[in-house]
Amino acid sequence: MKRRDFVRAAAGAAALAPLGRLPRFLGGRAGPWILVPMDDAQSDHLKAYGLAYRALERGVRVEWLINYRGGSFLLPAESAAARDAALNGISTEAPDDGRVTRIRGEIQQGNMDAVPLEKAPKVAVYAPPNAAPWDDAVTMALDYAGVKYEKVWDPEVVAGKLPTFDWLHLHHEDFTGQYSKFVLNYAGAPWLSEMIQRNTAMAKQLGFANVPAEKRAVAQRISGFVERGGFLFAMCTATETLDLALASDGVDIAAAYADGTPMDPDAAAKMHWDRALAFQHAQLELSPTTPSYSDIDGHQVNAPDRRQPLGSFTLFGFSAKIDPVASMLVQNHRQVIPDFYGLTTSFTRRTLKPAVTVLADEPGAPWTKYIHGEHGQGTWTFFGGHDPEDPQHQIGDAPTDLSLHPHSPGYRLILNNVLFPAAKKKELKT
Amino acid sequence: MRRLPGAITLLAAITVTGARTTRAQQPALARGLDLERQGSFAAAADAYRSVLAAHAADPAALLGLERALVPLNRSGELLAPARAAIAAGVSPAVGYAVLVRTWSAVGPGDSLRAAVEHWAALAPGDEAPYREWVGAAIGRGDRAAAQAAISLARRRLGRADALAPEAAQVAVAEGSWTTGAVEWIAAIRQMSGFRFAALAMLSPAPERARPDILRQLEQDGSGEGRRLAGTLVARWGDPVGGFRLVASSLPTENGEAVERLNQFLEALQLSPAAAATPARQARGMTLEAIAARTSGAAAARARMLAAQAYADAGDAEAARRMFDGAGAGREPAAPASAVGTAVSVLLGEGRADEAERRLQAARAGVPPEEYASLARRVAWGWARRGELSRAESMIAADSTVEGLAVAGRIALLRGDIRGATARLRAAGPYTGTREEASARASLLALLQRIEADSAPAIGAAFLALEKGDSTAAVAGFVGAAGKLPPDRGGAELRLLAGRIELARGRLPDAERLFRAADQEAAPATAPAAELELGRLLVSLGRRDEAVSTLEHMILTYSTSALVPQARRALDEARGAVPRT
Repeated sequence: MKRRDFVRAAAGAAALAPLGRLPRFLGGRAGPWILVPMDDAQSDHLKAYGLAYRALERGVRVEWLINYRGGSFLLPAESAAARDAALNGISTEAPDDGRVTRIRGEIQQGNMDAVPLEKAPKVAVYAPPNAAPWDDAVTMALDYAGVKYEKVWDPEVVAGKLPTFDWLHLHHEDFTGQYSKFVLNYAGAPWLSEMIQRNTAMAKQLGFANVPAEKRAVAQRISGFVERGGFLFAMCTATETLDLALASDGVDIAAAYADGTPMDPDAAAKMHWDRALAFQHAQLELSPTTPSYSDIDGHQVNAPDRRQPLGSFTLFGFSAKIDPVASMLVQNHRQVIPDFYGLTTSFTRRTLKPAVTVLADEPGAPWTKYIHGEHGQGTWTFFGGHDPEDPQHQIGDAPTDLSLHPHSPGYRLILNNVLFPAAKKKELKT
Repeated sequence: MRRLPGAITLLAAITVTGARTTRAQQPALARGLDLERQGSFAAAADAYRSVLAAHAADPAALLGLERALVPLNRSGELLAPARAAIAAGVSPAVGYAVLVRTWSAVGPGDSLRAAVEHWAALAPGDEAPYREWVGAAIGRGDRAAAQAAISLARRRLGRADALAPEAAQVAVAEGSWTTGAVEWIAAIRQMSGFRFAALAMLSPAPERARPDILRQLEQDGSGEGRRLAGTLVARWGDPVGGFRLVASSLPTENGEAVERLNQFLEALQLSPAAAATPARQARGMTLEAIAARTSGAAAARARMLAAQAYADAGDAEAARRMFDGAGAGREPAAPASAVGTAVSVLLGEGRADEAERRLQAARAGVPPEEYASLARRVAWGWARRGELSRAESMIAADSTVEGLAVAGRIALLRGDIRGATARLRAAGPYTGTREEASARASLLALLQRIEADSAPAIGAAFLALEKGDSTAAVAGFVGAAGKLPPDRGGAELRLLAGRIELARGRLPDAERLFRAADQEAAPATAPAAELELGRLLVSLGRRDEAVSTLEHMILTYSTSALVPQARRALDEARGAVPRT
């Protein structure tokens, strides 16, 4: 059974079954419930995801009420969850069985669904050992919500550790091996020198001729992880460079400072787009001094003459019962969200593969913000931009303190992705 | 990378050439500007084109067309109008500048160089063609091309310091900080206004590069180098050292010296650590140096400001030297601010008698409200010395809420719990600064739990605290706490003693006292004690204990107003948010 079919079947059964005949794991038991509202009644939206995650860790079956009050969570009343909510300032309600029955009726009649969450996904974050935790929106969100994760980097990926995880996150890594194309503009900066030194040493240690070759191999391992059923979530420049690395097998797309030879001037024509996850037919940036990779990114934040201003992006509405996956990924209490820059901020429509599902875009603009697709037996989700609460993030900026943004709709999208794999059966072929 | 010189050139060109636009062209030009302001760049470009169609050499229209096309990413369309404008006789400073920028945007190569060469041939000896060329290369991030253009310009113009600001920017961007410093000195010699740009560009230098930068600047014999070095030293965390460097390189002429000192003063104020003690001390030293080079009212004002800065820095001796020199606070006609400074400094030294004498001497020149405010401060100065009757007599006639607040605190030092409570309550929640109001609320919270009308031991402990004798204060509070039930002030006094120990850095004692204050029998105090204990444990790296303590506090006292703060501390203990 494909994952989507499984989700559809399981979720549909949950929503349609009368309360008294609900399977035990969906909460078919007497007694009160804990409802975690995710609309404006919630006092800390981000930590609420952590509550659901920790309940799953304890073996509690949680239902994700898609499109019901902003994507609320329903779980059987238990003292650990109540304690968790009290400690973290998470708003909860205690509906009785009668009210839960009415909620289920409402869900059945509307564009809503109840998706059972089965197990806490095992999460990996791809990051070099010296990465500052606050420079990655996902690790900040996971830390704030209290979701456990492990860090992996090139040695672990190359050694084949990825299949031991359910969910992998990538952030601003440059998989083309060009150090975000900062080399010429930030020459002499200590952090850049350290980055180059560390990556060069790692490429040598792993037996690759240069960093671009090593990063391409890592990208291919990540693609294989997805193909075998893994869940991939990427933000910022990891989205664009992962696909460029995958599509450039045998093509030199790296500047001379990265691999010793200049970029192939005909590289764009030689790319193997069939190997990429999301993009196709992109025009590559040929200048080694322009900190941009291609026309995949619509905003081009670091190319002053091409830079586009920030607007707002709008989340798409999906049919919860027919397309629960996309619905889960866009659960939010806000539908229009202020945009934010990253080295890759957005994804131009022109370069998207036809099978890509657009989850959010800026209406009228030639770019999208949040996209999703399948690859083999797994799925990937790309979210443009660096930090949803720091729209003009600069190198060296102070870390974002999420306790000041507990209702951040942008961060909610990240956390939707963390819980989304919990709705699926584990099928990784290790 | 910034392009200051390029921007300056463009503005100058607009200013100089704008006057050539004829009256007939005005409506279309004005329409273009309006459309630009509205963000309708395509329509603005059409308006400018219509002007150029009739007058190809109109500089304002050409520059407007450039402004409109760049954001549209249609710079290539500028080539033909720029060439036409040059052919029609537009000033080279406009026509060739646009052409150079356009070639740079659409594809730097032989055409770009040819445009520069043509322009240079028309204006031999002029830096402008090369500056535009270099600026375009910098804008593209192509530092190698920028460096090559600078070298060529210097050879052609026969001046080793030509395009020094541009050379400095390129050097700094490449991490060649010492070369950048040398170039910035050359740039400042050409135009002193570059001092600010130099400061901004050199300030972010990494710590390891700083000694070489300073050595290079100090080697410069003009004095500019040492002054820039001084300002950088101040910016890098040693404002007093920075002042000494600046002071050692001042021009002999007083007017110029004062100007340089004022520039340093301004740099100090813009420094991120402007409110820190060393910066205040350096401010005092700079103002003192200004006072020494000025006379009359200006000198007196500088001395008073210096006195205030020294007082803020805690250097009472220097502060007194300043207001003594200014004569402030002694003559009846001394301005109120001068009297206030003198009173502050003297009270800071514990000299309430001298402060009162100076205040009385200046009474006629001080507005009544200001006098009453200063009298309350002097009264509190007497109280801190333990001369409570004298303190009360100073404010005997003061029936304001501010006066009641001071009177309440004096009563507390006497151990008059009932009198202190009544006066502090009467002072209300809004009197004085926010910090004062908050401290008063905390005192009231403590006092209202104590049933006794009088508690001299508690008063003595508060007085010891005011005198700076923390050891005696803690001993006094703990001793008094031992005689009170936990919910009748005992726990609260231990909490207060713990906070004093925490402030003194005696962390084990603080921990012991917080634990002693955390008693179920004192539910109003226990959450605060647990929060303090949790924070202390976080700071000690005992995170597991901190988490346990804070979780207990949140779950046990879930209705406490301190729960949000405890959640914040819990997040810090778990590493869920960055430390503040």
